[in-house]
Amino acid sequence: MKFKIETIWHVKRFHRLDQEANKRRCDVAILIMFLCLVTFCARLWHLQVVQGEHFRKKSEQNRIRSVRLQPPRGKILDRTGRLLAGVKPCFNICLIEEDITDMEALLAKLSPLLGETEADIRTRLGSEQKGPKYIPIVIKRGAEWEVLSKIESRLFSLPGVFIEVTPAREYPHGSIAPHLLGYLGEVSREDILKKRYSSARSGDLVGKYGIEKKFENDLAGIKGQRRLEVDAKGRLVRVIDEKPPVPGKDLYLSVDLELQRASEALMKGHVGALVAMDPQTGRILALVSAPAFDLDAFAAGIDHKEWEELNDPVKRPLQNKALQDRYAPASTFKIVIEAAALQERVVTQHTSFECTGSYRLGNSVFRCWSWRGHGQTNLYKALVESCDIYFYQVGLKLGIKKIIDYARDFGLGSKTGIELPSENPGFIATPDWKLRKYNEPWQEGETLITAIGQGFTLVTPLQMACLISAVANGGTLYRPVYLEKLTGPDGHIFKSFESDPKNKLPVSESNLRMIKKALVGVVNDEKGTGNKCKLTDVIVAGKTGTAQVIGQDRRHQDEKLDWRYRDHAWFIAYAPADRPELAVAVLCEHAGHGGSIAAPIAREVFETWFKIQSPWPVLRHYKNAFNINSVDDHV
Amino acid sequence: MFDRRFLEHFDWWLFLSILLLMVIGFVNLNSGSEATGYPFQWKQLQWYIAGSVSMLILVVFFDYRLLAVYSVHIYLIMVFMLILIVFIGKTVGGSQRWLSLGFMNIQPSELAKLATVIVVSSYFYHDDKPEYGLMDLWRPALLMLVPIYLIYQQPDLGTALFLVFIFASLVYMARLKWTSFLLLLGSAIAAFPLVWEFLKPYQRNRIMDFLFPGKDPLGAGYHISQSKIAIGSGQILGKGYMKGSQAHLNFLPEVHTDFAFSIWAEEWGWVGAVFLLGVFFLMLYRGFLIASQSRERFGAFLAFGITAMFLWQIVINIGMVMGLMPVVGIPLPLISYGGSSVLITLVGAGLLLNVRLRRFMFQKGTKTR
Repeated sequence: MKFKIETIWHVKRFHRLDQEANKRRCDVAILIMFLCLVTFCARLWHLQVVQGEHFRKKSEQNRIRSVRLQPPRGKILDRTGRLLAGVKPCFNICLIEEDITDMEALLAKLSPLLGETEADIRTRLGSEQKGPKYIPIVIKRGAEWEVLSKIESRLFSLPGVFIEVTPAREYPHGSIAPHLLGYLGEVSREDILKKRYSSARSGDLVGKYGIEKKFENDLAGIKGQRRLEVDAKGRLVRVIDEKPPVPGKDLYLSVDLELQRASEALMKGHVGALVAMDPQTGRILALVSAPAFDLDAFAAGIDHKEWEELNDPVKRPLQNKALQDRYAPASTFKIVIEAAALQERVVTQHTSFECTGSYRLGNSVFRCWSWRGHGQTNLYKALVESCDIYFYQVGLKLGIKKIIDYARDFGLGSKTGIELPSENPGFIATPDWKLRKYNEPWQEGETLITAIGQGFTLVTPLQMACLISAVANGGTLYRPVYLEKLTGPDGHIFKSFESDPKNKLPVSESNLRMIKKALVGVVNDEKGTGNKCKLTDVIVAGKTGTAQVIGQDRRHQDEKLDWRYRDHAWFIAYAPADRPELAVAVLCEHAGHGGSIAAPIAREVFETWFKIQSPWPVLRHYKNAFNINSVDDHV
Repeated sequence: MFDRRFLEHFDWWLFLSILLLMVIGFVNLNSGSEATGYPFQWKQLQWYIAGSVSMLILVVFFDYRLLAVYSVHIYLIMVFMLILIVFIGKTVGGSQRWLSLGFMNIQPSELAKLATVIVVSSYFYHDDKPEYGLMDLWRPALLMLVPIYLIYQQPDLGTALFLVFIFASLVYMARLKWTSFLLLLGSAIAAFPLVWEFLKPYQRNRIMDFLFPGKDPLGAGYHISQSKIAIGSGQILGKGYMKGSQAHLNFLPEVHTDFAFSIWAEEWGWVGAVFLLGVFFLMLYRGFLIASQSRERFGAFLAFGITAMFLWQIVINIGMVMGLMPVVGIPLPLISYGGSSVLITLVGAGLLLNVRLRRFMFQKGTKTR
């Protein structure tokens, strides 16, 4: 290669004649270029000076507007087709900057009409991202009739102002299932730039939370367009063409409106979550996170103070606690331990321990929730009365590894796979994790408290609802589904959402039967911790849980403690015990005992459900409709 | 390495015109970006900077004569990239023109413009004849047919024809026999009906729109009639910066790329448009001067080819937006938005400066054999 470069260095210089010929050809090229330049200048002169006036007029009259036609957003309905979220017309007052000659005068006229100060309107104008000037800016969304009629009658003297009709959400049954439905909000500048939503433009509403966000593309529909020819003052000359919008698809949920509404009423005043599902299919019938937020308020627009309240760090109304928050499962976890112990043959039906109220391991003393102790306790009694001492010893015999394996098989520590954003997987601690995190080996004492659902283990209410459903239906763990189908406005089904069995619990049928028998006892026995959920005419099975938030050396009266330090109340249950139709998980933060707080809520849910289901009035006071003593044969 | 003569021979006029074009391009794109709603101007600024840096590196550390040595490599790389497009090219707006490098997309057909200049210049440098007949030209013609065909089937008829223009310009520089010229012209006219058959419907439409523009003002001729309204309504002094209603009300399509000149003429009027043409003229004039003053054949061809490449782009683009030519997607150098185009233009300008700088090596007193 070196040689070649050398040769090129000895370039042939032009011969004098060649140089001249070369120069001649370049001169011709310069001449051609000059002619082009002259032609262009002449053409420009012709266009801009000779015909300039004509074109200037044309450009001023050149007012082809394209109006975007908003499609109606798809409806959201409950499992029987009752409307949860519909659409209604929303009247927005808009400005087109391009058509405004005197902004100051216009604002002065507008401010008394809107009942807002000029500064307010100005900030709204400023906060709208600066786009092209011909794009309308919404200065008042969802204006009331009063304001509208005032503006409408004066439109002639308000150049550049017009009223736009867009579809907005309406909630005919009030604000139902806000955490599930979610809300709409104005699309952000960033979303537009990153093209997260097809065809969204500044000022458009897009789903920001829940179903509205998850199914944005299906619900939104496709925008249409109408091209108008208008004159220099913005008056319509003619419609050039129109492409009609395609309405959004309708979404049917598996949620039951009545059950959802009743559940929300029951959870009012609490901080927590409630999940009700069909244990045979994994379909969610009600999903509540408390406190709720008001969808109507979102549709109308949220002000700063309301937004502050929604972001309350203690009550977290915007958080869907059913699946985005995690809690210690407490005694509800004993179902897993008992299943593991029976399956691994660590205990049998007849194994019993003496409960004195405390258990000593090494130098530490572990207490039972019943400080007096349960006395001689067998397997059945241990679950019914939720004896901690019994499960400490069972946990020790099982060992942490087996506990972890079974907890995972019961669906804990991983996402349930529900189609909602930001689901929390919960947490199952392993000795490896502890070593990595704290650089300390796993202690036996930690196995002990894991066995009663305290310690590192964290679960979501939704996971517990799936878990109790799996126990109820004989061992099938379902992926929770809250959707039925996606249909077009004409009823054509685009997609049906099938129930989706994930896996089988690793528990034999006879062992499961034994657990279920004890769960019936929890609710129906006199000493059962969950007997506040007892129904007179349907047999309920369940398990209470009371999750300690702080370590307690002495027994405290819960009411005397600061709210933040009170226990979380759990209750998970299903009914009827012999052919389960409904499974419920209730969690109330800092509410006290599972048996006294959460169990009554679950009872009301069951009552509501059976009232909805029964074609005849339920004979509430007809005692012994089921003979409780014969339950064992049923289960 | 550094020679005082570098400064003496550096073409400050050419350099100045390029700087001015970048300033105008940025200012104009700033307005065009507001009209489209996307911040194109900042991306373009990055390309200006990247391109200017490569231009200066080329000027100082490179000797253009190396290109004559490596022209075969350059040709092969060009053809390879164009073939690559067939397999992994990104399709935008119906034609497959882009190669995705992950962090950026490049348009090999833009690269092909400069590569053609280099390869054909080098061919004529090595194959030195006083004048060329048809028999002498079939080999370089065949050489060029490969990239031209590959670009044609993307489909990008505009760029394919553009390569033919560049080739023709270099053949002119190499001096074609009169008889051959007449023969070529005759056969080109005779072949026109045949070519018409090969054109795609939208390409025929564009030519028809050019010939009969007012026929369907809302249809395919819409772009040109709107562009003419934009330019014409600018009048002598223009509507003022950022105040072009044609562009900002979205009547003008593609304000940031093909129709960048229209928004400039609308907002700055005849005065601004003529000024821009003047800057272009300065750039081209200096380019041709470098070609005519080059002391050796390769430099002359290279400089002539690059300048012709600029000239044709400018003539085709401005002619199109003023309604003097059919709609062809050829960008206006340094004014239209587009990374590949900006880079190629600045690299080309770097080579021009380079040819000029190394002129002294052949002046009296330097060794030549």
